[in-house]
Amino acid sequence: MAISLSKGGNVSLTKEAPGLSEIIVGLGWDPRVTDGTEFDLDASVFITGEDGKVLNDSSFIFYNNKQSADGSVEHQGDNRSGEGEGDDEQVVVKLTGLAADVKKLVFAVTIHEAEARQQNFGQVSNAFIRVVNKADNKEIARFDLSEDASVETAMIFGEVYRHNDEFKFKAIGQGFAGGLKPLAEAHGVNIG
Amino acid sequence: MIALVPGGNAPVTSGQVYVKIDYTPVPNADIDVSGFALGAAGKVRGDGDMCFYGQTRVLDSAIQMTESSAGLAVFVLDLSRLESGIDKVALTATIHENKASFDRVSRLSVSVGDDIVADIPTTGMQETALILGEIYRRAEGWKFRCVAQGFAGGLEPLAEHFGVEVAASAASTPPPPPPPQGKPSVNLSKVTLDKSRSSISLAKSTADFGEIKVNLNWHRGTSGGFFSRNRAIDLDVGCLFELKNGSKGVVQALGNAFGDLAYEPYIQLMGDDRTGSIDGGEWLHINGHKWSEIRRVLVYAFIYEGAPDWKQTDGVITIHMPDQPDIEVRLNEEGGRYGMCAIAMLENDNGAVKITRLVDFHKGHSYMDKAYGWGMRWSAGSK
Repeated sequence: MAISLSKGGNVSLTKEAPGLSEIIVGLGWDPRVTDGTEFDLDASVFITGEDGKVLNDSSFIFYNNKQSADGSVEHQGDNRSGEGEGDDEQVVVKLTGLAADVKKLVFAVTIHEAEARQQNFGQVSNAFIRVVNKADNKEIARFDLSEDASVETAMIFGEVYRHNDEFKFKAIGQGFAGGLKPLAEAHGVNIG
Repeated sequence: MIALVPGGNAPVTSGQVYVKIDYTPVPNADIDVSGFALGAAGKVRGDGDMCFYGQTRVLDSAIQMTESSAGLAVFVLDLSRLESGIDKVALTATIHENKASFDRVSRLSVSVGDDIVADIPTTGMQETALILGEIYRRAEGWKFRCVAQGFAGGLEPLAEHFGVEVAASAASTPPPPPPPQGKPSVNLSKVTLDKSRSSISLAKSTADFGEIKVNLNWHRGTSGGFFSRNRAIDLDVGCLFELKNGSKGVVQALGNAFGDLAYEPYIQLMGDDRTGSIDGGEWLHINGHKWSEIRRVLVYAFIYEGAPDWKQTDGVITIHMPDQPDIEVRLNEEGGRYGMCAIAMLENDNGAVKITRLVDFHKGHSYMDKAYGWGMRWSAGSK
């Protein structure tokens, strides 16, 4: 039984799924049912060290950089409308393959061209993030953030982080003004 | 005061809450505001979950529409009394017959209680039907979210979105039903008042007029979905009267104001046919012997049940007077959404009966009263 987290809540992935080595972090939302431009949500991952900054520029995983240098974090591709059941975007993380200096993976979601399209998370229905054990496809934890999202256009959904010898997942649900660029810069990415 | 933008939400005080929708009216494009009470799947359970101009109290009056005029709609929601099956109440605005898009509505604002206001930016909006916002359950309480999304296709996709059955004929024009009793549309033995000839004055041919009989007949609709325009229709005939002595009033079945032939107002409703299928329809009699006492009589019809589609009712008012050709007025005009039609005015023109075809449509008694300067006070009644 998956654990449903509320904002700020956390769960030990290692304890919930002993022997866990690979996870799928899934992101989903409902496609727009009303008329107008589709909601195109993009998942990004910041692979950060102790200081909360990316280890290097290739540690920023997004639609233009789908894989970390060592292959431990891999974005499965862009879904542009939220169509389909289940996850709309997925990131596969080989926990056992993460370098020792990786302290935290920050999963963020931004709305593509939010400003031009006058869109925000409050208009998107049933957005969620979930962590699935890749070995058996079982959901370990889920965070439905419909209520914590409002007028933001960029949002940190959750974090996977090391805690002693465990991997934990924390539901963040923290909005971030300005979209992907300032979000990336805040995590130490040099945007050219 | 919390100002919300589309996508934003805020908690709503439980209990009774006023929701006010005000907007700049668009010339020649009526805006209808409605409330949809929705279950878990975001759908209505039935017709009784919709609150709009034609059904202003639903769910045991837990949702009421207390005002619906050009530029303003007000709902009173008693959230504590909403049954647990209702997850949210969506408030919508639609532009009648998609005559304009919301881009034309310069100001569109929703306020919830005293604390929340959401101004909806309408610039560039191609939608003709909008979900303005929704009041929804959250944890133990209620919240309001400004939605401001909708459909360019208008009421139909909006209604479908909420699970309301929409008859296929709503968009296309249904074939006209045969006229009642197989009458030809122009009866040579009658005087038909239409747009080109809208008035006739009948002088006394004898000492008085005898009994003036006003008949309303119409085509009975068939049942269908809520928004279908061919639901069984109950047309009621009635009149406003004004006597020479200044006495004013109404004769109609609603409120049991059947009138009296022998005494004031000398006008009587002869019974109510609620289906129109009975030959003869509804009859309103005016005592012509007392015509000298009467200043004017405004004959109207209103739709007590069923969605208004006046053309489809194919209603005919026939005024029979002894020794006079029958005078016929057909309700063959687009009446829009209004449930009330002022059909004909009978005026005492120096003792003669001057009959003028009106066939204009009104939101209700009080609106029609105002339009014709009757000056009575109105309150809601039921049959």
